[in-house]
Amino acid sequence: MRCDRVQDLLPAYTENDLAAADRSLVEGHCGSCPDCAAWLAALREADGALAGFPEVEPGPALLERLYRLPSETVRRRPVLEFFLRPSLQPVFTAAAVLMTLLSLYFLNPDRRAFDRTVVRQFHRGLSRVEKLYVGAGAVTDSLGAYAGSVFTALKAMNPLERNKE
Amino acid sequence: MLVDLFSKRIFNLAYQFAGNSQEAEDLTQDIFIKLYRSLPRYGFGRNFSAWFLTLAKNHLIDEYRRTKWEKRNRDDYDDCLRAAASDTGDPEAVLAVEEARRTLWQGLNRLSADVRMAVILKEIQGQKYEDVAEIMGLPVGTVKSRINRGRLQLARLIRSDKGSSHAM
Repeated sequence: MRCDRVQDLLPAYTENDLAAADRSLVEGHCGSCPDCAAWLAALREADGALAGFPEVEPGPALLERLYRLPSETVRRRPVLEFFLRPSLQPVFTAAAVLMTLLSLYFLNPDRRAFDRTVVRQFHRGLSRVEKLYVGAGAVTDSLGAYAGSVFTALKAMNPLERNKE
Repeated sequence: MLVDLFSKRIFNLAYQFAGNSQEAEDLTQDIFIKLYRSLPRYGFGRNFSAWFLTLAKNHLIDEYRRTKWEKRNRDDYDDCLRAAASDTGDPEAVLAVEEARRTLWQGLNRLSADVRMAVILKEIQGQKYEDVAEIMGLPVGTVKSRINRGRLQLARLIRSDKGSSHAM
């Protein structure tokens, strides 16, 4: 196994996070390669030193500042906090889109022409719907007629019905 | 109450990340201000500790990125940390560990902000990989690979500090 590959595996090796095969390869290699053995020792030394790193107590002046904070910060703008809630974001987005559309309409200098176009389009759409409705009625009627004739033909083909006659 | 529970943890996180005691105090205060302002947005049922540490991590990394050119030097290890260490036992071994810690303390600045934060949370503060992943907002595999990269960088410093000229 090459040294760079072994060195990549060393962090996982020190944490017992390697498969048995890789583990024995690393152990075998480090037993015969002084450079990789030195890497392993340095890694263990770094881990050991980091694990017992000293903790520092925060000073009394800092604690004093921190204890004073809630009364200074919580007092701040509850109304603003209400409006900054993430749940209101879709509402604000919808309101912004609506306001943009309304401003496009109300600030349009040629608003009457726009109104006329809208009314014309509306009536055009309405007449199309009416035509469709009438067409659909005609199709239903013809389907009814077809159904009647198919039913009659089937009756004529039925031998029981023919015997009755 | 939040101050009693979290001030030491947040101050140490800020100090280990920034490396400067005065700056760590200011950062801790800023983080607590952010906490009080963000509390209305905290979803009950979530892990509060992880949520708060995520907030602290975001603030520390953002501040570091905003002002990183001004923050290249860390406090001397001896100034604050050696006094707080309470190692007992063989004096020679203690000295060797202290030497390694001095090297690592300065070496933390050589790690990128994300790697440094992950190493501090896992290796110094002793969090589990899953907790670090939750705080960092990353998959566990990504966090492991970042931490391993950081550990190898720090091991390299220890090696070079001991006069080895080997390179990985």
